[in-house]
Amino acid sequence: MNNGQLVALLIIMPLVLALAVGTCHAEGQSPILVDIQGPAQPLKMGDTPTFKGSVTNVGNHELSGLVVYLSLVSLKPGAEHPVDLEDWSAQKAVRISKLGPGQINTQDWPMRLIEAGRFGVALTVVDPDEKQPVVSNLVIFNIQPKPTLSSSRIIPVAIGEPLFLLLLYGLHWVYTRSRYS
Amino acid sequence: MSAVGSLLRKELMEEVFSTRGAVLYLTCSAVLSIFAILLVSNTELSLLDNAQAVYMMCGIVLALGLLIAVVRGSDGFAGERERQTLELLLVAPIKGQEIALAKLGGTLIAWVLVFVLASPFVWAVGSTGQNLGPALIYLFFSGMLLTLILGGVTLALSAKTRTFKATLSIGLTLFLLAASPVILGPSLRQGSIGRLIDWVNPFAHGLNMLDSVVVDSQGISFQLLHFAILTCYAVAAVWSVNVMTRRVEL
Repeated sequence: MNNGQLVALLIIMPLVLALAVGTCHAEGQSPILVDIQGPAQPLKMGDTPTFKGSVTNVGNHELSGLVVYLSLVSLKPGAEHPVDLEDWSAQKAVRISKLGPGQINTQDWPMRLIEAGRFGVALTVVDPDEKQPVVSNLVIFNIQPKPTLSSSRIIPVAIGEPLFLLLLYGLHWVYTRSRYS
Repeated sequence: MSAVGSLLRKELMEEVFSTRGAVLYLTCSAVLSIFAILLVSNTELSLLDNAQAVYMMCGIVLALGLLIAVVRGSDGFAGERERQTLELLLVAPIKGQEIALAKLGGTLIAWVLVFVLASPFVWAVGSTGQNLGPALIYLFFSGMLLTLILGGVTLALSAKTRTFKATLSIGLTLFLLAASPVILGPSLRQGSIGRLIDWVNPFAHGLNMLDSVVVDSQGISFQLLHFAILTCYAVAAVWSVNVMTRRVEL
């Protein structure tokens, strides 16, 4: 096992454990079921897909003050790390004030894909009355790279504008020189 | 034409057609060119999200505009004093505050020129057109308010300091403090001290507003607080110019 694989294992293992614990807990004791679904179509940089989340109260009593938050993790082999959602999503968490027995709360989680690679996204629900948060399934998706800057737009402006200014000032200089000489 | 109008016209002609103006705006255009070519020639940067690239370009434009505002503001009275042309202005039938008004008008004209030079670059970088229109609108108005703030403060200082160098040193220090969000980076700004600096720093409000509009596609309701704070600072800066230029001495 090389270093990259070891790092990948160290990062992914707690996530898998958390998922397993969350699922077991949801199946066993927790009255909360949480799920997230990703878009079906292939994704590329610059896309703005919406992930659909749902939180279900499968218990017998009303839940209140639930906090649902989104986690994004980069799964690029050898460079696995949690991703700061800043710039990826304006909505990072929602609060569900009340959720009655059998009720389902659905949320849209719009994201802007600003980096290429392999990523995973999951939802975590924190119930203030429970010690164990509930984690959803992990949705894994690939973002294809796409050059977003067009050299055919930038180069003419980058070269043309300074030259145009230079020409203008040159003409002005010649004009004023001829006028006062 | 009123005395203020004549002075403003003189400022405009100096700004556009003087050697100083030529050097300033050619340099400004060259800096924007270098940055744009860097964006497109670097593999990683060329893969940047388009809105992110537009936001970065807007940040550079704001910084350039503010730098020019600091230089112009510092030169306002202190420069005239050093060139021994302030006496001529003071003997003319015009108040110190009117001179300051024309100088501040000249600084705003300088920002408009920077914006005109920068707009093609912002357009070129924003190839997908995502939030390009709002980016240009918010860049113009936030730049206008920030120019009033930094240009106003340095102009007020230049009315009382003896030399252009001294005013410029203070102005550049203020500029560096204002640009601290760029130096600190997003992660350090998330701490309590970073948030406090962001809260009191007008440049950070300008940047955060552009971030919110360009990157997060948020509407005007999210920008009202930023605008209100920038406007308060601008009013305070203009008030300080008014107070400091009531009595201008040689």
